Amino acid sequence: MNTNSNTYVMGFAVAMCVTVSAVLATLASALKETQEAAAEFDRQKNVMMAAGLIQQGDTRSREELEELFSKRVKEVTVDTETGAEVQGTAAEVAQKRKDSPLRYRVVGAAETDSGEVTILPVSGKGLWSTIYGYIALEQDKATVRGITFYKHGETPGLGGEVENPQWTSQWVGKSIRRDDGIGVIVKKGKVDPGVVREKKHYVDGLAGATITSNGVTKFVERDLRSFEAYLSKN
Amino acid sequence: MTSTATPETETAPLFGDAEKRVVLDPLWDNNPIATQMLGICSALAVTTGLQVSIVMGISVICVMAMANVVISLLRNLIPSKIRIIVQLVVVSGAVIIVDQVLRAYAFDLAKQLGVFISLIITNCIVMGRLEAFAMGNGPWRSLLDGIANGLGYAWIICVVGAVREVLGAGKLMGVQVIPDSLYEAGYVNNGLMVLAPGAFLLLGVIVWVQRAIMGKVEE
Repeated sequence: MNTNSNTYVMGFAVAMCVTVSAVLATLASALKETQEAAAEFDRQKNVMMAAGLIQQGDTRSREELEELFSKRVKEVTVDTETGAEVQGTAAEVAQKRKDSPLRYRVVGAAETDSGEVTILPVSGKGLWSTIYGYIALEQDKATVRGITFYKHGETPGLGGEVENPQWTSQWVGKSIRRDDGIGVIVKKGKVDPGVVREKKHYVDGLAGATITSNGVTKFVERDLRSFEAYLSKN
Repeated sequence: MTSTATPETETAPLFGDAEKRVVLDPLWDNNPIATQMLGICSALAVTTGLQVSIVMGISVICVMAMANVVISLLRNLIPSKIRIIVQLVVVSGAVIIVDQVLRAYAFDLAKQLGVFISLIITNCIVMGRLEAFAMGNGPWRSLLDGIANGLGYAWIICVVGAVREVLGAGKLMGVQVIPDSLYEAGYVNNGLMVLAPGAFLLLGVIVWVQRAIMGKVEE
């Protein structure tokens, strides 16, 4: 057979593509459930990390951590406009009420050694991607207990440093109640500890990732504002 | 290159001298990283700790074994005009398989390795072995060659990963190995080892040591 004739080359290329796609599609659908479970477990771990229930790199088994989550963390769907709890998942409620799904969000409450902690989801645009994270507030609803970012597509080493525990640990103890608004500001450059306002409400910027930093400032502020009704109610 | 293997015959033993050479060469004499200087980029990037290095090593071994066998089976059917693209498709397929499996069963590690798993596609070792070996040898030898070259890559990055983790973080596999008393006596972790230049220096030292032992002189 002439393996260099145009017909053969075309036929071979098509057959190759079809075979490889079929193999990959089969594999992807076979693994989908396991992958989703793994991603959900990762999300739960991040909720607990934000709440300070576990540390990064906790060596406990998956079963133990899942049990800890179900025991200590309670998640409810909240109508962000009224601050009231609603039944069902965000997507279900939105569909039933013919409303934007963005209006309903899942918030968590965790029992910790220093009282009940509120865990709010925050997400928004960085430079390349949507960044997803959780911010946990102390009982006073003003002090940050912890923050984690668990899903993003920012540049590794630059914007990707949002998930670096060394950076996120700076958020702990900052107050989200500023005189001029709500939220913590990611500064461009280093925080000056001599300035009271900066010491209370600012964290260091990510070097080489100004757009990611500004994005984080913006969406944390926007999301915290959207939870105002819920926070003042509880 | 080890493409000098004798032709396979019906009576040849399953694991004869030729096969032995195929397996042993890439581990030392013809190591893909230390001797051929391939795959350096990922070797610098992912070797921050022993655990990620091991997973990366295993991933590369799997990809190379799969791709080598598939290409070897197809070697007489592949039109030479489009052979590089065909190889690339097979490698990409194998990498996606590994990536998907990791995401399902080792989510944390998949997250840590991130883009570097996908970048195995561009690892010159993989394409190099397909073009130089699998296109001209049978599936059994190609399988051995893929695994052996993967192992040659894996052991080097594991050594680099282990040294970096011990010196940079005082840990091995996430467990502290440098005693607290040493830190109290004023010992500090070496920050350079956490960064890519640290890996670069280490790799240089490994290449130097390996060549000094082997007595290899660059022609």
